[in-house]
Amino acid sequence: MKEILAIVRMKRTSATKRALIDAGVAGFTAVRVMGRGKLVHDEKVIMPCKEILMEMAPDDVIDEQVSEEEIVTFLDDTRMFPRRLFTILAYDEDVPRIVEAIMKANRTERGAGDGKVFITPVADAIRVRTGESGDAAIW
Amino acid sequence: MLFIRAIVRPEKKDEVLENLSAGGFHAATVVDVVGRGKQKGIRMGDVFYDEIPKTLILVAIEDWDKDKITNIILKTGKTGISGNFGDGKIFISPVEEAYTISTGAKGL
Repeated sequence: MKEILAIVRMKRTSATKRALIDAGVAGFTAVRVMGRGKLVHDEKVIMPCKEILMEMAPDDVIDEQVSEEEIVTFLDDTRMFPRRLFTILAYDEDVPRIVEAIMKANRTERGAGDGKVFITPVADAIRVRTGESGDAAIW
Repeated sequence: MLFIRAIVRPEKKDEVLENLSAGGFHAATVVDVVGRGKQKGIRMGDVFYDEIPKTLILVAIEDWDKDKITNIILKTGKTGISGNFGDGKIFISPVEEAYTISTGAKGL
C-alpha cells in the first residue's frame, strides 16, 4: 500500500482529476498549498517567464526599468506560489501507472514549476463505514 | 529520501523558511492548518480554544540531511530560550520515490 503525494499547478487540477479517472483511480484528497521549488538559474527557463510578465506590466504608468526590476525580484525572491497537493492511496502495483498519468497530465512547456510526485509507504488504512482494513480499504 | 513534516507557529513561518533556504533547502510546501497538542488546547478565561492555527511545512530531503534540517527547524521554531508549549513538532517519514514532473527525472 502506497501513498502518492503530487504537487501540481492550480490550473491543472481538472486535468489531473481526469487523468486519475482514466487511470482507474477515482478517490483522492486535495489541499490548496503554497510552495516553492529549487532555485532556477537556467536563462532558457527564466527568459520566457520574464517576457510574459513584462507584457503584463502597465507600461504607461511605470517606466520600463522599474517594472523590470520588480519582475527580477519577483522571480529571484523566495516567493511562494499556489499549488494543489493531491493525496492518493494506491496498491503497490498501480503506482507506476498512476505516477505516469499524473506526470503526463501536468507537464507544460515552461520547463519549471510543474510540481513533484512523492511516493511514501503506508502502514495500514481503515474504511470508516465498514471497519475493514488493509488492502480492502483502498477502494 | 525522507519527508519532513514540521508544524510551526504561523508567525515563525517566514523565519523558518528563510533559514531553510540559507541552509540549502530552498524547496518547500506550506499549508495552513489548525490543531491541538498534548495540552488539549488553550483556556483563556471562559473560552476554550482547541483549534489553534499552525503552519505545516513539507520538505523532501536526502537521508544524510536529516540532522541538519531538524536542527535548523528546532533552532528557529523555538520561542524564548527554553521554548514554550505550542512551538510545534517535526515528523519524519520515509519516501520511496520522487519525480520531477517537468523533466520526468527520478529523485529530488
